[in-house]
Amino acid sequence: MTDATLLVLASTLSTGLILGAIFALVAAGVTIVYGCVWLPNASNGQFFLLAALAAWSLAGAGWSSAAAIIGVLFMGIALSLVIEWVLVRRLYDVPERNVAYFVVTLGLTQIMSGIFAMSWGLWSDQFTLPPLVDGITMIGPFPMTNNRIVVLAIALGVLAVLFAALRYHPYGRALRAVFQNREAAALRGVNVRAIYRLSFLLGSSIIFLGGMLFALAYSFDLTVAWTMSVTAFAIMIVGGPGSVLGALVVGMVFGFTQAIVSIFASPTAATFSYLLAMLAMLLFRPSGLFNR
Amino acid sequence: MNGRHLAIALAVAALAAPFVLEGNRFLAFVFGIVMINLLWASGMNLLYGFVGLMPLMFAGIAGIAAYAMVALTREAGWSFWLATPVAAVGAAFVGVLLGLPSLRLKGFYFTLCSLVIQSVLTLAFTFFPRFTNGDTGLNQIEPPAWGGVQLAGVWFDATLSVVAVVGVLLAAWIVQTRLGQRFIAIREDDVLAEVMGIDVVRNRIIAFFIVSLYAAVGGCFYASYVGFISPRSFDVLTSLGIWLCVAFGGRGTIIGPIIGTVILAPIPYLLQELQAFKDVLSGVLIIVVTLVMPAGIHGEIMRRRSLRRAAAPPTVSAAEAVSSNGGAR
Amino acid sequence: MKQIIEMNRAASGRALPVATLAAVCLASGLASGLASPVARAQAGAPIKIGFNTELTGPWTFFGNSCVAGLKMASEEINKAGGVLGRPLEFVVVDNQTSPTQAVAASRNLDVNDKVVALSGPTNSDTALAIYGYAEQQKLPYLVPVAAFPQLTKPGTRYTFRIEPNAAGWGYSLARFLEERKPGARVAMMYSDAALMRAVVAGFKYQAPRSKLNIVADILFPQGSSDATVQAAQVRAANPDYVILMGAGAFDNVLNNQLIDLGVKPEQMIHPFAMTTMIFGWGQRSAGAIYGTFFDHGLDGLTREGKDFITRFDAANSRPPSYVENYCYNTPYIFKEALALAGSADREKLREAFTRLKTREVTSGIPIAFDKNGARKEYIYFMQIVSVDGKRTYKSRQIHYAEWDADDIPVYELVK
Repeated sequence: MTDATLLVLASTLSTGLILGAIFALVAAGVTIVYGCVWLPNASNGQFFLLAALAAWSLAGAGWSSAAAIIGVLFMGIALSLVIEWVLVRRLYDVPERNVAYFVVTLGLTQIMSGIFAMSWGLWSDQFTLPPLVDGITMIGPFPMTNNRIVVLAIALGVLAVLFAALRYHPYGRALRAVFQNREAAALRGVNVRAIYRLSFLLGSSIIFLGGMLFALAYSFDLTVAWTMSVTAFAIMIVGGPGSVLGALVVGMVFGFTQAIVSIFASPTAATFSYLLAMLAMLLFRPSGLFNR
Repeated sequence: MNGRHLAIALAVAALAAPFVLEGNRFLAFVFGIVMINLLWASGMNLLYGFVGLMPLMFAGIAGIAAYAMVALTREAGWSFWLATPVAAVGAAFVGVLLGLPSLRLKGFYFTLCSLVIQSVLTLAFTFFPRFTNGDTGLNQIEPPAWGGVQLAGVWFDATLSVVAVVGVLLAAWIVQTRLGQRFIAIREDDVLAEVMGIDVVRNRIIAFFIVSLYAAVGGCFYASYVGFISPRSFDVLTSLGIWLCVAFGGRGTIIGPIIGTVILAPIPYLLQELQAFKDVLSGVLIIVVTLVMPAGIHGEIMRRRSLRRAAAPPTVSAAEAVSSNGGAR
Repeated sequence: MKQIIEMNRAASGRALPVATLAAVCLASGLASGLASPVARAQAGAPIKIGFNTELTGPWTFFGNSCVAGLKMASEEINKAGGVLGRPLEFVVVDNQTSPTQAVAASRNLDVNDKVVALSGPTNSDTALAIYGYAEQQKLPYLVPVAAFPQLTKPGTRYTFRIEPNAAGWGYSLARFLEERKPGARVAMMYSDAALMRAVVAGFKYQAPRSKLNIVADILFPQGSSDATVQAAQVRAANPDYVILMGAGAFDNVLNNQLIDLGVKPEQMIHPFAMTTMIFGWGQRSAGAIYGTFFDHGLDGLTREGKDFITRFDAANSRPPSYVENYCYNTPYIFKEALALAGSADREKLREAFTRLKTREVTSGIPIAFDKNGARKEYIYFMQIVSVDGKRTYKSRQIHYAEWDADDIPVYELVK
């Protein structure tokens, strides 16, 4: 195998893994909220963007990227608590709450994009976070920045912890009980509203983290919000609502389809192909690949 | 009887408005846009409000029709009045073909599927510039001509009023027919509907075809009214905006989408001078109204009426029961 | 019909909160829309020009940067006594980066504000939508920043464009590369956007004539986020130069991933650049080449130009680039044209634009419009020397070219 072929192969692997891991992470955040509380959040993309922008501002104020990420995570948790308290909890008992919630979060999306246009939108048309670590590691002939390796490790690590926690931790088990049957869980003494709040917090925090990892690995602008929302929703539905494993597998399929198809065809063909793949999966297994 | 009077009053108001607003071409233009949105919203409502499916590829179908109409008028030299029905029926068939596999899906799965289809369409509009001129869009689209004279100014606005009024009345009529009753039965419980001998998928296809026609006709008028189309004119945000008018006003009724459209559609135009702040304002409006009235404005009104009436002996007719039910679900 | 009855009865009682909210919303909108037509045509009343630009939506940054430059110049002009004894007033309206809104805003400016001319867009979509309106309603229209060739297609009467057309950028880039390295191998990576497609069309037209080899030609759909695989393919094709143009942040992704893979900055060519883009590329891109129409590193800046740069930098914490420069020049061009027309009449202003012979106040480059409203075109190629953090960068001018819009068949290359 020539160096040129190896280079393209290794780059495919790198792209597939990083894109897949970040999208899987965001989809996992979406899936926890939607799968448990049955609330489709249309403003996921704006949350994602908010975290990335906030981290960018902190980094600009002289914080290191690591400190900025931790700081934004705490702010994100506080913000989610406020949103849960002001908006989300009012809809827990509404009939057809998913429609009402979708409308409310579309309103939230408008508010946030208005705020972004009045603030960060004036400061730049593109944003990048400084790398967490410097340097480059050679993988064969392929130079991969250490920063992206760390991003990949964090994303996969968080996904693994999330998966284990949902499976083995008592909170995680309670969460899954509510996933499966709200009434039965309530009868068994699970505090359903507390679990709702927990999963909203957890899901939002993961989306915040996803936004910052994306900002570390790539540059971003204000248009990334919608791309991210649409993709995360699609990944969630194909993977099965509530399934972190589903999000991971489908996220990876998504990342690798994009990477592999673009070797042989144009990047546009790659985008078409993953959309069509998702459509096909939806048609053959409408309840999702990894239904709970 | 009163209802018929109100319907006539609304229709007359819609038809008279272009002449009242004639002095201000800007407000008249906003009114025209609202009329197109009204047509779209009452179409969206047929599927979302009466069959229970939320089609996010709505704008994509409108786009197919608009591009086809422009191609037919520009390249084949057809008149707008011939090109529009042909493009609309064609786009509706394409819409049904695209939607066909997903029509057996339910609820949010259908929505997501339609979201993916919409993404594919937007991408295709950009990537195949032969008919769409890609991201650049098509400009200087001719307004339709009527007896050799191009429609302009107040007459174009009035034409849009007529189209919207006909669209709303048609939707009101469809809902009252046996077909409309079948749609409602499917929305309420598709399994039960199947048991009762209703062919669920077939009826959904019929509904989807009708809705695609609404989208397509609206798309053709939009193109010639605004004079410019590009892939961004028909993206998922457009679909969501139309859906929002329906959900906000109250789905499953004829009047709900009218309320929603008349309130929401003009905001971005009338508040242009508030710049980014108008997004915040309309977002707050949407959130507050939804928190106060989760079933939409009209749905809430119906719910309160039926609460009030619960004390009195039940005299609710079948159609009314269905409509209030639809709003509150 | 029954539903309507319900509505009728209930509306009087229970729907009040919404009705109030909606009424407040609509009323404030109507007020802002209706308040203006009151005529203020007495002597000394401002000459109104509609500035229809992108203050929200994907183009937020460009529209707002443009307005920052515009405001500086219009204040200067008004302090110095305005034009024809009247102040210049730019009525800035947001078109939300949406063609429909742009048409509506044009109508608003035309009908309610009775503006003498339109200007403003920094985006080809909205610029083309306004173009249709301006040509139809016979409203003079000066486009500050939109490079799409069709804005000055043959037959155009009311539209005048300050920025050179994008197909020309590609054309001049090919000639520049031919000079720099005959027979060069060139790779291209760009987003599927109107502007990028136009630049590429111009480049591909001239490339065979300049004996350049295009070894890779990769088009990315909008919304792409990763280009590692394509960067590796480009690297494997071993080009002398890589031309890259990404939409928004993707531009930076392309740049970073190519450098990560070991492509040298000296090989990388950006057909256009704004200050924030160069900040994004960072110090590691020192040596890269970019095209532009104005830069604080130009050799031939006028005194006014240097002053503009200092003051813009002080107000916005970054030096201005060509977008801000064109918008800064816009009021001056209006001033010249209005003085030449001798009155604030639409037809006379249009006619004055066709006769106008002036210079950019900041760089002294001549401005004159041909029969279609296109100007004598030009481009600078600059090389980045250093990028010092987030406030400024250094660059040097390495090439300047001028050509006529008719030198290449632009209107056939780009429909």
